[in-house]
Amino acid sequence: MRDGQPTVLPGFGLTLGFTTFFLSAVVLLPLAALVLLAASTPLHQLLNAVASPRALASYELSFGGALLAACINLVFGFIIAWTLARYEFPGRRLMDAMIDMPFALPTAVSGIALTAVFSANGWLGRYLALAGIHVAYTRLGVVLAMTLIGMPFAVRTVQPALLEVQRDLEDAAETLGAGRWYVFRRVIVPAVLPAMLTGFTLAFARALGEYGSVIFISGNLPMKTEITPLLMVIHLEEFDYHGAAALGFVMLAASFVILLTINLLQAWGRDRMVRRRA
Amino acid sequence: MSITLDQLTKRYQGVPVVNDVSLEIGDGEFFVLLGPSGSGKSTLLRAIAGLSGLDHGRIALHGRDVTHVSARRRGVGLVFQNYALFRHMTVAENIEFALRVRRMRAAQRRSRRQELLRLVALEGMDERLPGQLSGGQQQRVAVARALAHKPEVLLLDEPFGALDAKIREGLRRTIREVQRELGITTILVTHDQEEAFAMADRIGVMNFGRLLECGRPQDLYTHPATRFVATFLGAANLILARQSADGPRWGAWPPAMAGAGPGAAAREREVVAVVRPEEIQMARSRDELSSSAYLGRGVVEEVLFTGALERARIRLDEAPEAPILAHANGEGAVLLEATRAQFEQRAFTLTPGQSVTVGVRRAHVLATPLSSFTVCASNGSAVARLAGHPLLLDLSSRMKTRIRRHVEPLLGDATPIRDAATSLPGTSVIAAHENVVSDANWLLDHGVEEILILPEHAPSPQRVLIHWTDESARHATLAVSASVLRHLSAEAIYVDVLPDQTHATVRSSGIRALLDARSEARTAHGLEIRTELRFGVAAQALAQRLDEAPGQMLILGTSGAGRLSGELAALLAQPRWPVLLVHREREAPAHSRSAA
Repeated sequence: MRDGQPTVLPGFGLTLGFTTFFLSAVVLLPLAALVLLAASTPLHQLLNAVASPRALASYELSFGGALLAACINLVFGFIIAWTLARYEFPGRRLMDAMIDMPFALPTAVSGIALTAVFSANGWLGRYLALAGIHVAYTRLGVVLAMTLIGMPFAVRTVQPALLEVQRDLEDAAETLGAGRWYVFRRVIVPAVLPAMLTGFTLAFARALGEYGSVIFISGNLPMKTEITPLLMVIHLEEFDYHGAAALGFVMLAASFVILLTINLLQAWGRDRMVRRRA
Repeated sequence: MSITLDQLTKRYQGVPVVNDVSLEIGDGEFFVLLGPSGSGKSTLLRAIAGLSGLDHGRIALHGRDVTHVSARRRGVGLVFQNYALFRHMTVAENIEFALRVRRMRAAQRRSRRQELLRLVALEGMDERLPGQLSGGQQQRVAVARALAHKPEVLLLDEPFGALDAKIREGLRRTIREVQRELGITTILVTHDQEEAFAMADRIGVMNFGRLLECGRPQDLYTHPATRFVATFLGAANLILARQSADGPRWGAWPPAMAGAGPGAAAREREVVAVVRPEEIQMARSRDELSSSAYLGRGVVEEVLFTGALERARIRLDEAPEAPILAHANGEGAVLLEATRAQFEQRAFTLTPGQSVTVGVRRAHVLATPLSSFTVCASNGSAVARLAGHPLLLDLSSRMKTRIRRHVEPLLGDATPIRDAATSLPGTSVIAAHENVVSDANWLLDHGVEEILILPEHAPSPQRVLIHWTDESARHATLAVSASVLRHLSAEAIYVDVLPDQTHATVRSSGIRALLDARSEARTAHGLEIRTELRFGVAAQALAQRLDEAPGQMLILGTSGAGRLSGELAALLAQPRWPVLLVHREREAPAHSRSAA
């Protein structure tokens, strides 16, 4: 808004320039470098890095685990957001503040903490082990770590949307004869669905990129509990920059496709709603 | 009866937000619940809809007890202030919501929807989303949606609150037309008296969770029973007057009357008269006051042109015989409010600073026995301290009345009465100290009929206990109780005490007395009270009951020519709770007072 009212920050030209520079320096250029590096790799080396059985297994774990963790967060994030948004109880504020903890902790610390609790002789792990459930050093542990670090995204996106669904809407539906389940399905979920999808996307993206907390609890057994980012680190430690870049490119491309799909889905949903009305 | 409410009570954190409300609404009636925000009217509406539970009471719709029926099975339609439309659904889907829930066939749904859209004048809007409609149109959709399942009762919660004046007007008319066409019993909640007048068959005014008065708009406007209704329904001047045999008389207290002592039948009482601003006439001199009674002289403070009407505020001269306004109009200065039509303005032009003669065309005397407060103590500093008592300030500001100050050096003097002419207007207020009984007796000797005794630390009471020692004080005590309780959010309990060794037949008559008291409170004063029967010595039982919980107050009725003595004096000696003593001469028959 060049000709708009004066604002606190200097004019449009300067801020847009800064925005472009910042995005370029911090996001676009490194990504371009990654793509270039991957592209300059000899083909057989590229295929070796990208399509090796070990790499394929790591994709399965990284993408599958992130997807599963995001799904878990979608459900439980909704429940947590619902509790915080709808009820007034002692300790609510404290609980609300706790949601953000996984944001603040260095991820390695959460990894160590999770391992301490869930390893075979940990606080919970020893009882779970009795039941035959092993969390640490299994794929289950990977999903657990991914769920933990993605949870705040799911809660924090749904919470404001739920606050916006006024109590009156539920009351109105009730006086019109709708039961609780009907109100939930037909009134509440449609109203917060866009926010839930956003939360899902963010939680998924975060889980996919997570490294620190996962490597502690996963045990990093090749072909079993090895995530793609770790595989890249291994390549780097062997000074195989091209291999690492190739894997990075695969991840970049795959997450781009997934995020694009979700965004298109969202847009399509909005569009369909509007077109049906027109 | 379409809607019958029986003693509904809903408490929030111990405070009653709906306080013993009983009401009957007839078939096809348009009933408006009017009250300031926080008066409990919306809570009451939600309770009728089944959306909030009750602590006490019963609700019946068309003779069917629905107290424990869930909102979804009550068959009511509810319209909200913020429309509460489902924003992701079209107008058609919104309206058909209730029909879809009931699994009605698509074809039937469509025809019902068309019918409703025609009713609210929104034909052809079926496929719009709520976001694409104006506020007024959205509220029309909400009305249609609420009517879709053919509810027995339509409830509207401030439906025009979010709309601007022009749109309001049109929507009001639509709702009234729809209501008439369907003949559906309707309750509308609002805080806007103009809206209430425009729409209601009958209005119920609420304050502090109580339903104060019900009636046709014009009756409530011209003959309000309470000062809250008088001042809430349009502007009103409350003027302290003396009630004499031939109507209210203006002028300051005490009346210049010789020999008006206690027991004199012709003694004048202080009353509160309601004078609407449009009933005030202004002229140059007393001779020019055509059709009105002379009130006094004053100076015009302010003249406002508001279109059809002119609003003037007048400061009355402080002459000895000048009338006294009961309430301060907000900012402390007590000014008389007047409105004049165009023809009056042409006949006599007002300018600020001008001196005018003021007349009253019509005045309505309120039935309330509590007119004003007079703080009494034997020295000036004690009077000042008592006049600043939080409970007294609270009560007087809620009652929109004055606190006078009176230093009485002889207060509490036990020597028999000599100077009968000293009479204090209104309710006397004294502090609870060790000699409080002799103070009270002195006041009773001097013709005071209501005495408020205040302990130093008395919070605003949450519960008021009512008791009278003698049946001949019943009527007056109930009238005073009703007047006090209208201004407090407290529950009222009538406590009757029977001697310990009571025969069964006497017990049943005691229970009958409780029921009588309750029905008199309801029919004569519109006050809902709870009742309790206790056994033992009256004063001890009352003291025990008052000590059970903090935040209680006692209204105690006594009668007879005698002074306070014996167990009653013991109860009142340095009370730890506020006590309002209501005293009536035994020879005064109750019915003469009911005319006041």
